Amino acid sequence: MLNRIVKAYNEAVFETDKEAAFEVVNAALANGMTAEDIVFKVVIPAIEEMMSNITKDPDANLAQHFMTAQIAAEVTEKMLTKFKHPPEIVGRVVIGTAHGDLHSLGKRIVMGCLKAMMVDVIDLGVNVPAEKFVDEALARDAQVIAVSAMMVHTATGEGGARKVRQILKERGLENRFRLIVGGAPYRFDDRLFLAAGADAWAPDGVSASRVIVDLIKEVKAS
Amino acid sequence: MHRQLNAIEIFTQTQTIPSDHVRKPTAMACLIVHSTTEQHRINVADGQSVRDALDITEMRVRAACGGTGTCGACVVRLVGGEVTAPTVAEYMKLSPDERAAGARLACQLRLMGAAEIVLDQPAPPSQWKSIPPENLIAAPGSLPSLAELIYGVAVDLGTTHIRVALWDRRHGKRIATRHGPNPQGAFGADVLNRLEAARARPERAAELAKLARSAIVQAVRDILARDVGEVTPMLAQISQVFVVGNTAMLALLTSRGINDLVNPAHWQSRIDCVPKDLAEWHAQWYMPNAEIVLPEPVAGFVGSDLTADLLATGLTDGPPGSLLLDVGTNTEVALWDGRTLHVTSVPGGPAFEGVGIRYGMPAEPGAISSVRDAAGNYACETIGGSEARGFCGSGLTDAIALLVANGIVKQSGRFEVSPGPDGFSLDPANPRTAITGNDVDAFQRAKAATAAAMEQLLAQAQMAWSDLRRLCVCGAFGRTLNLQNAQAIGLLPPINPAMIELHADASLAGCEMALLSSDGAGRFAALAARIKATNLSLAAGFENRYIDHLRLRPIGSHAEHERISSCLIA
Repeated sequence: MLNRIVKAYNEAVFETDKEAAFEVVNAALANGMTAEDIVFKVVIPAIEEMMSNITKDPDANLAQHFMTAQIAAEVTEKMLTKFKHPPEIVGRVVIGTAHGDLHSLGKRIVMGCLKAMMVDVIDLGVNVPAEKFVDEALARDAQVIAVSAMMVHTATGEGGARKVRQILKERGLENRFRLIVGGAPYRFDDRLFLAAGADAWAPDGVSASRVIVDLIKEVKAS
Repeated sequence: MHRQLNAIEIFTQTQTIPSDHVRKPTAMACLIVHSTTEQHRINVADGQSVRDALDITEMRVRAACGGTGTCGACVVRLVGGEVTAPTVAEYMKLSPDERAAGARLACQLRLMGAAEIVLDQPAPPSQWKSIPPENLIAAPGSLPSLAELIYGVAVDLGTTHIRVALWDRRHGKRIATRHGPNPQGAFGADVLNRLEAARARPERAAELAKLARSAIVQAVRDILARDVGEVTPMLAQISQVFVVGNTAMLALLTSRGINDLVNPAHWQSRIDCVPKDLAEWHAQWYMPNAEIVLPEPVAGFVGSDLTADLLATGLTDGPPGSLLLDVGTNTEVALWDGRTLHVTSVPGGPAFEGVGIRYGMPAEPGAISSVRDAAGNYACETIGGSEARGFCGSGLTDAIALLVANGIVKQSGRFEVSPGPDGFSLDPANPRTAITGNDVDAFQRAKAATAAAMEQLLAQAQMAWSDLRRLCVCGAFGRTLNLQNAQAIGLLPPINPAMIELHADASLAGCEMALLSSDGAGRFAALAARIKATNLSLAAGFENRYIDHLRLRPIGSHAEHERISSCLIA
């Protein structure tokens, strides 16, 4: 039965058909599958498959990434309410758009995938001052700070990730958090994340969630 | 090439299309223009002079009298065809020898059927063209009572284009219109790039302001030179210049509020774009008597061009549930709920203007403006009927709707069978009719942003899609839009098409109405007082709506599905 469900769910995700995905999940629940199994045996493997396919599937477009991440997040969110015990959280990330940047949609894909992968996501919203990224990361005991920037001047400017790095340095927090950036400008120059003071970057929202999980593990291991 | 260059062939559609397809009573004739480098075709309305028909294109005749036949500059050579007989003006301006050689005045010449003419002496190239008359409004009823200085100028200052109309305000007569590119485009097609350039260096800000101001006066001068016959004395007769535009353009025009606009924290507040250096404007424009009116923009992200749309469409005169959509570089949305005007803007437009689309282009000759399903083939209709060079917004909408209807593209936006990087050609013989996967993606995101913005305003007003009673689609995009196709893929709500109105140049129309009213600024202020502006990047729920509207299917279908699925899952 599990194979059939996984196949039907993956098909629905490939078609970015949220209603079909919900129907698969509903049918699985009706057949006695637990919410835990749905998340860990169906939803997360589907995201992992998508991540490994993303570079091999040039036809998948941004609209499809949005919809796929949304399906993963919504299904996970609904399943979590049915968990018998609160799930073990992989780690915690604070995420927001750089100061001066109101383009909120890019981080949506990242957040959707992270939530489904049991990462606790603290969304700081848009136009976030650098100080707030650091203060919130401290207060929430996060491992990763993620800064999204969709314009050249917010991706490389003084008020964005560069300032976050500077504050981390000043407060001696560089070992405690990893800083990741993402957004269109970084795609045009794959060294730009270094100029922005970041530890890592990712070319798309789906891959970003995998990089963030790796960064969390890195911090936890250190 | 055996054809004579610069020849213009004119023939009516009745010769190529069965007569039951001809629209009556205003028959349109088709005009083929051969220049030294390319061939154009334009449509000519019944009763329109050849000069007026050419003024809409880049192939203008010389002119200095406004088409009265008194200057004799617009000479063309008739090779043959069915045309009106020479007028008295032509007998006065053209010698018997000239007439025997086929010389005619383009302003006097009208079509009765097929014809061919040669343009031996075209006007020097200009970026200014007339606005097609079908896009213009009739003069409103009441006019200001003016004894002297009776002329006025309406200006719609867009990011990409400037539109200008010169009026005799006393008699309610539009003398002429022009549209042309905004020269600030050299500093970036994107608004933010221009604002950044202006913010970084004050001298650059001054340069940008001057560029826009000189473009405005050039358009007015072009009208005066060609349609009136005198320039400087007439400039002094202009008593008002009424300017509307998006907030960034107004800020760049006046060098005011630029710092506020670069900082998103100020986008929701009022931006002061009142010019401080009006004496300089008067001097630069040679318009010492002109009152220069720039109504305050609604907010950082919603300009006075939207207020002009509201005035032109009379949105608040309609029933609650009246929605306005102005598709442009930025798409603006307004909803009238009977008490409040909810407005917002969304960066949804570029794809509809051909930006970010492989073979996207503005609605110009050669652009595919509509696509029909012809027994398994795709019949592409282009503006002017010439060979397809790419898609404008309406053609793109049709193409994607048909590809979805035929199962070539799925609702997710994915091609059923990947067409590869070259895309799917509607006409296999013409690669410029191809739609790529990225094109579908850009279109999906643009239409999702548009639909989500409309839905957000409805939610704010505690209304549903089914509460809509009127939809005004503004912008050139709407003029050739196939409503059924736009509804099928979820760009427009599935309401009775009889409730949908198309207003091509609504911003200019509203600006003209203000210019002809005794208190245009007051009418703008009255509308502004009813406006509640929403910045979507801070609006709760917008992102979810956006993602839900990405699929290529009618608006509202997902809500029903989702309601059922959510019940089950809960």
